[in-house]
Amino acid sequence: MKILIVEDEIKTGEYLRQGLREAGFNADLVHNGVDGLRLVQEEDYDLVILDVMLPRMDGWQVLTNMRRRGLEMPVLFLTAKDQVQDRVKGLELGADDYLVKPFSFAELLARARTILRRGRSGAEVTILQVADLELDLLRRRVSRSGKRIDLTPKEFGLLELLMRRQGEVLPRSLIASQVWDMNFDSDSNVVEVAMRRLRAKIDDAYDAKLIQTVRGMGYVLEAPQENV
Amino acid sequence: MIARYSLTTRLTVFFTLASGLVLVGLGTLVAISIDRHFVELDRDALRDKIHLTREVIGKSTSPQDLKIRLDDVLHSHEGLFVSVFRDRDPLYATPDFQFPEDLIAQTQQARLGVASWKTAEREYRGMSASVTLPGSAEPPLQVWVAVDIAHHKHFMYALIQTLVGYVALATLVAGILGWWAAKNGLAPLRTMRSRAMAITAQRLDERMPTEEFPVEMADLATTLNEMLRRLKEEFDRLSEFSSDLAHELRTPINNLMTQTQVTLSQPRSCGEYQDILASNAEEYQRLARMVADMLFLAKADHGLILPSTEKIAVHDEAQALFDFYEALAEEKQVGLQLIGAAEITGDRLMLRRALSNLLSNAIRYTPPGEQVVVDIQGDVHGTTVDVVNTGPSIDAQMIPRLFDRFFRADKSRKQLDSDGAGLGLSITQAIVHAHRGRISVSSADGRTCFSMYFPSAQNIGKRLTTDA
Repeated sequence: MKILIVEDEIKTGEYLRQGLREAGFNADLVHNGVDGLRLVQEEDYDLVILDVMLPRMDGWQVLTNMRRRGLEMPVLFLTAKDQVQDRVKGLELGADDYLVKPFSFAELLARARTILRRGRSGAEVTILQVADLELDLLRRRVSRSGKRIDLTPKEFGLLELLMRRQGEVLPRSLIASQVWDMNFDSDSNVVEVAMRRLRAKIDDAYDAKLIQTVRGMGYVLEAPQENV
Repeated sequence: MIARYSLTTRLTVFFTLASGLVLVGLGTLVAISIDRHFVELDRDALRDKIHLTREVIGKSTSPQDLKIRLDDVLHSHEGLFVSVFRDRDPLYATPDFQFPEDLIAQTQQARLGVASWKTAEREYRGMSASVTLPGSAEPPLQVWVAVDIAHHKHFMYALIQTLVGYVALATLVAGILGWWAAKNGLAPLRTMRSRAMAITAQRLDERMPTEEFPVEMADLATTLNEMLRRLKEEFDRLSEFSSDLAHELRTPINNLMTQTQVTLSQPRSCGEYQDILASNAEEYQRLARMVADMLFLAKADHGLILPSTEKIAVHDEAQALFDFYEALAEEKQVGLQLIGAAEITGDRLMLRRALSNLLSNAIRYTPPGEQVVVDIQGDVHGTTVDVVNTGPSIDAQMIPRLFDRFFRADKSRKQLDSDGAGLGLSITQAIVHAHRGRISVSSADGRTCFSMYFPSAQNIGKRLTTDA
């Protein structure tokens, strides 16, 4: 997966590139709109992360030019200004998502993955599986090591999200937004409590803990690695 | 054009114009009345003369006799001119005096008329009458008498000159008086100006001296004082907010700085570094959230949060929030109950946020085993959403300050609270205000109720038109 970062703030850009590379992406970084527009035409990117305020050519113009040249790759806007009009403008111009600075890197990563996943329509899965945990989407049943686990609808939704995106660190705000449709900074305690209750049902009775807290970032569900 | 002149100049000009106009009118009235009076006097005199002439004619026996008698009479009347005609044939005329021909032709038909005319050097007024001799079968005689009215005209001329002079002088004096009055009358305005100049952000407690002012200005001064009071309150609130903000930011930054520097002071294990970085990340997230909340409030202050206007079923939103808070409430053994249903017109995300803050607050302060109730009531005028919880009442003194930014009823609870920075209720209030609604709190006898009121769309429209 190739990602282009167009960001004039040197430090922010460098960290984004490092973070995305470490997350397994092939990330390039340029510092102005003109270079950004040139690069998207030369290379085949899967996602462009575009700052709005850029020297020489701002993010809006870059996006407009891209779309005019028939470049339909997804674009994620970064901006320091959170104006409703800006948000609307970005989405009207054909941006796929919008993040307001300061944002957490976990949030950016999760959103980038959401966008990248959107294109791939692979076969519709009906059963999700991680290690010995199994989630049946059709019958809405969860079992671990063959033992049935009773979950509330929201707990089921939460587990489904974690399993669909296994191995990804999901920030609390993203979980609140995806599971409960709370698209604002809400009481983060709620996610913690819900996660604690889910863990009690999924993990407490087993030695191998599937749900991990990544401090300062969020939660991840993955099969435990043997050698750690 | 006139807008550029001072108020004193304007008042002076208006006053001068008004007095000038009144005086000119009065002068004209006086002149016209006197002139009329003169005409009246002349008419009486001329009637007398006609009468006299008629008598003389009555006494005379022949045209020669008439001439002698008239000469005799006219001799003693200086400035009286007489002509007698019979069918345009002059029987008698005062020597060296000629009545205008056209006048005589005109009055042939009329029985009696008064006219005035001018010659090169003099002005006359004359009257004609037809005289029928008693017991005579001859056609009536036409008599013309005239007097010299030059002295009247001289008098009028002098009078008009005097009047014009007087009017001019009086207008000037009135103008000066007007200027003086305006200048004095506007003195309180200058006082106001000097007071206003003394007002700065640091000296907002300066006030206008209302007692010294005339009534009209006192009203203005009172209004200005009210404005100053409000500004001072807002300003005080704002400066308190700024210092609170600095303080709120200083604490976490100080923690971050100290922690990071202590960590760097000697080599540590990888696990320790991870712990520190994770703790820092949490602190940064809190800061970022605070900044985002502050920005939201700043935008609300500038009227920049524009709620979209869709129909929202409040009970559905409340139910969604109940789902969200379910786990937390269960863990705290707090029940959640929803009563009623209604729709409001507004912004879904914002409404959720507002209600979410109230719910989170209510759940936090409700003791285990008790309940939080969301009560929704709507009618044509608007919708009320009450969030009620049992638990310790809020101190009455705290209530007016509850919606202040960074205000925490419980001062001992700091920072690590999930409440964040104490901006939740301010944000809820800002959202309600953006929807042109009201929010209020009541708390007594172990029951606390936050009540949001949203006017209905028609109601808002009505209020908008009355505002305009």
